[in-house]
Amino acid sequence: MSSTPPDPAAFFRTMLGEWEKIANGVGGQVLKSADFARTMQGASGAALNAQEAMKGVMERALAAANMPSRTELEDLSARLARIEAAMFRLEGKIDALGAASGLATSDATGSADAPAGTAGARPTRNRKPPAADPA
Amino acid sequence: MTDAVALDPVFRSAQAEFERALVRNVKGLEYFGSPAPVLGASPKDVLVERGTMRLYHYHARQDDLYRVPILLVMATTNRGYIFDMVPGQSLVEYLLVQGFDVFMLDWEAPRADERTLSLESYVLDFLPHAVARVAQETGEPDVNVVGYCFGGVLSLLWAALEGKDRLANLVTFTTPVDFGKMEMFQAWSDRRFFDVDRLVQVFGNCPGDYLYTAFDMLRPGTRAVTAPRLYQQLDDEAYVRSFRMFDRWSADILPLAGEYFRQTTRQLMWDNCLMNGCMEVGGRAVDLGAVTAPFLHVAAQHDHIVPTEASAPLLSMVGSADKEEVVLKGGHVSLVAGGNAVKRLWPKLAHWLGERST
Repeated sequence: MSSTPPDPAAFFRTMLGEWEKIANGVGGQVLKSADFARTMQGASGAALNAQEAMKGVMERALAAANMPSRTELEDLSARLARIEAAMFRLEGKIDALGAASGLATSDATGSADAPAGTAGARPTRNRKPPAADPA
Repeated sequence: MTDAVALDPVFRSAQAEFERALVRNVKGLEYFGSPAPVLGASPKDVLVERGTMRLYHYHARQDDLYRVPILLVMATTNRGYIFDMVPGQSLVEYLLVQGFDVFMLDWEAPRADERTLSLESYVLDFLPHAVARVAQETGEPDVNVVGYCFGGVLSLLWAALEGKDRLANLVTFTTPVDFGKMEMFQAWSDRRFFDVDRLVQVFGNCPGDYLYTAFDMLRPGTRAVTAPRLYQQLDDEAYVRSFRMFDRWSADILPLAGEYFRQTTRQLMWDNCLMNGCMEVGGRAVDLGAVTAPFLHVAAQHDHIVPTEASAPLLSMVGSADKEEVVLKGGHVSLVAGGNAVKRLWPKLAHWLGERST
């Protein structure tokens, strides 16, 4: 007869695993049913309606307080994005001009780390795959 | 204490369990008191910061590199640091050490004004922009593209429409093409109940919380056992370290640009267009048969997000003569970043790309 005592921790882990499998199986069947989808989307629809009503109220309140609304901030953000895009196009043109004249192109737009290879010591690109297959 | 008591197996078991409980409590205090691990810290340059788009160039680790660089394309719902968790558990680091020049196309949360970004923005603007920038940086005309999950879908669409002269090799991980086989997502996006237009109209972008809840509900029992399982294994440092990394990443879900979400819901979830031949991007019909570069698809045997049936037709759909599919043990995330990834996926990827990147 074995003298190994029962391990309550192992029993608990096994129990958790089994419970998880059952919950995932049964729960999964419920969650992918049409009834659940209808109920879930009904609740989502109600939340969307509430969100939209709240948005209208907030916009009026912010206007009364002489503060910008979310829509106005979004417009501002869109304007900044257009400026950002214009800067990006300029950067591209400067790079292209630099490349055409043989100058080094602009490097990273931001990095606190020093790159491993500098413009003067870029890695070569002649590497060949090792002959042996991986294990 | 008498010898008889000390030798009693039940007593020994209770003593061991008591000691474990003590260790768990001490480790638990450390867990709550210590900072989260720093993820995605491999040295890199940010080449492009443009709205939601980010393009990173990782610092080379070898003096002699493979000729063709690698562009990792991240899914639009998640952060790219899944490819670069911590030293020793980083695909990026592994590829750099193997001698590849590695870039990553990653995403930030789209801003409110980016709700108008569409599938065209990603496939015909961001991806070509990244590929062109990689070419400019490396001086090489072609690139290896490696897409993960929906990043794989974007890569496939780009490869079919624009990849002819730029694409050296294409690799996709857990990439769905038959969206009809994603049963849970199909049920929740059922067009009879799900009003995608209204959601986009009200929120602008599809909120990350919605997506997080959807991913969480794919395994409804798992969330409930997470805390007790963690407590049980608080004395296991490797488990706790891994839990902290993956839990943080899986909760770090990005919103999706509104128009992009609307299009993907309509074209892929509702009309299953990749399978039914009705896929269009920017008015151009997509035929995956136009992808002729060497192609590797890797699926995960126990993937609960993209079941293997959802990606199974992919291999026959691409037009490449040199193509291969591998199904590896693991789940959707552990395939690319877990212990199995280190042993299975990464060596396979480096070997497959190495042979084709000179």
